[in-house]
Amino acid sequence: MIRTTRRSVLAAAALLPLFAGAAVAEDVELTYAGSGGGLAQVMDMLFDKPFTEKTGVRIKPLATTDRVSAMRAMMQAGNPIWDVAELTPVEYATASLEGWLEEIDWAAVDPNNLLPADAKLKDGGVAATYSTILAQRTDKLPEGKKMTSWADFWDVATFPGPRALQDSVLDNLEFALLADGVAAKEVYAVLSTPEGVDRAFAKLDQIKPHIVAWWTAGAQPVQMLSDGEVNYTSAWNGRITQLKKEGVPVEAVWNGGGLKPSYVGILKGTKHKAEAQQYVSFMITDPVRSAEFAKMVAYPGMVKGLYDHMDAEAGRELPTYPENLAGQFVTDAVFWAKNMDALQERWQEWLLD
Amino acid sequence: MSIGPRLTLVPAVALALLLFAVPVAFVLREALFAPDLSLAHFERFFTRGVYIAVFEKTLAVSAAVSTICLLAGYPMALFIVTRPPRWRPLLLFLVLVPLWMSILVRTYAWMVVLGREGIVNNLLQWLGLTDAPATLLFTTGAVYVAMVQILLPIMVVTCYSAMTEIDPGLVRAARVFGAGPFRAFREVFLPLSLEGAVTGWSVTFILSMGFFIVPALVGGRKDMLLGNMIVNQVGQGNWGFAAVMAIVLLASTVALLGLVRLVASRFLYSPREEQA
Repeated sequence: MIRTTRRSVLAAAALLPLFAGAAVAEDVELTYAGSGGGLAQVMDMLFDKPFTEKTGVRIKPLATTDRVSAMRAMMQAGNPIWDVAELTPVEYATASLEGWLEEIDWAAVDPNNLLPADAKLKDGGVAATYSTILAQRTDKLPEGKKMTSWADFWDVATFPGPRALQDSVLDNLEFALLADGVAAKEVYAVLSTPEGVDRAFAKLDQIKPHIVAWWTAGAQPVQMLSDGEVNYTSAWNGRITQLKKEGVPVEAVWNGGGLKPSYVGILKGTKHKAEAQQYVSFMITDPVRSAEFAKMVAYPGMVKGLYDHMDAEAGRELPTYPENLAGQFVTDAVFWAKNMDALQERWQEWLLD
Repeated sequence: MSIGPRLTLVPAVALALLLFAVPVAFVLREALFAPDLSLAHFERFFTRGVYIAVFEKTLAVSAAVSTICLLAGYPMALFIVTRPPRWRPLLLFLVLVPLWMSILVRTYAWMVVLGREGIVNNLLQWLGLTDAPATLLFTTGAVYVAMVQILLPIMVVTCYSAMTEIDPGLVRAARVFGAGPFRAFREVFLPLSLEGAVTGWSVTFILSMGFFIVPALVGGRKDMLLGNMIVNQVGQGNWGFAAVMAIVLLASTVALLGLVRLVASRFLYSPREEQA
């Protein structure tokens, strides 16, 4: 132990002049509000250290929770102590609606245009993704048939057998509309009208008697599929990959999946906007680094060319793999931030009815 | 009382203040400020039918579970307390073993037992009693079974400790004066053990009111308790509304227990009052 420590101290000392030189030139430190834990370790290795080496800008990662309250306090004080923040869809939507985020100059952040339009929002970028997909037990399917859409999930005559869905209004309203023939692109336009919401609930009425369980934790659908409790269920994609690896005959239907991004945003009023943009660019627009990240955490970004740096077998299990991406819709965080309370209440009434 | 014995309470009171009173004050603040002082969250809770329905369900399930626990646990405690003293530790140990397993593990175990391909269904089909798997899991019945199993040891222990306080000489005296075993139990032992039974019922009731893992894992869509709704609202970042539900839960539990105490001391344990 002592030897290792001494050796690493020596190594650090040898590198010191290099960093010191860079620090004199720039002397900028960016505070990054992340989630801490294993994710922070991966980011430190793949993003933070190489970024400092390249630019001299140091990254100070923080493990944060309840970021909305923290950002509200910072904005009231007029002094953001974070420069860059990782944001869940609802956090991003709230921050965006409240005007807490700097606009991002995408021409500077993504000069080679490697990110699809969906990943480049006015004031935030998509850093990682997961998807709520339809999962099926392939050994319990009727002879020669396979589910390929939410319409099939609703088709209890062709595909009999117990089913499960998440106890969540988000996703299920979208799935119901897709099953009812609404195009993925139109889902939120339809949901924005009272008639559209009624239509989704009416479609859900049809499947309600066939749902044996409404899951609340991501481990439950996996458990129910592997125990044979249900044949078909909605589930989070990473868990299904894991289950498949354990030898359970399951398959994901990517068509109709609800893609959920995790965003990265720059806080309004930061003193280091240029460096923050550089860091965002470094994090989400490099296919090689993004591929490394996806291999380690299974939540891939959206940069083009990511899958050129990963073997196809691993790629096919990820939500942004081109073939998988085609049929999915991106969960509209702003829609849900505005409508969650009212729709959740109606959902609970509907469940108890 | 001199100051000495009171000092022994300091650690407990400090802990209670720090770990209970202060957090409850925070929760109350969360409920009342939205973000300015208002009763909007409370109004939402009491004016929308769905929340009241879930609240009533929580009360009904908790009362039923505690009552089932009492009806099953009291005779168990009675059985143990009437065994020869050398057997009792072993019997109590057997009652307590399940308490050492986490609620989550026991709930998952029920899923394995009650599932479509679970032990009960396999047995029923092997015996030829059913052709297709019966729906046992994700039902209200499954919630009752799992909650009773989890809370029963607490009931047994509470009743048992009250029963060991009863002087066996009193029952013997009743027998000597000509009471049959049933009458001696009914007129001597039962009244003396009632306080323990009420305490057991109250403790299981308090615990039931806060359950959420069990209904979430083994219940159906209608088996939603207030605890589940709180988890739900916290998950969506609605701390204020979640705080309102937590306060309603706490206040109603305290009020109900006060009522139980009042009614019980007035009608059930009057003999003891007279003794004193």
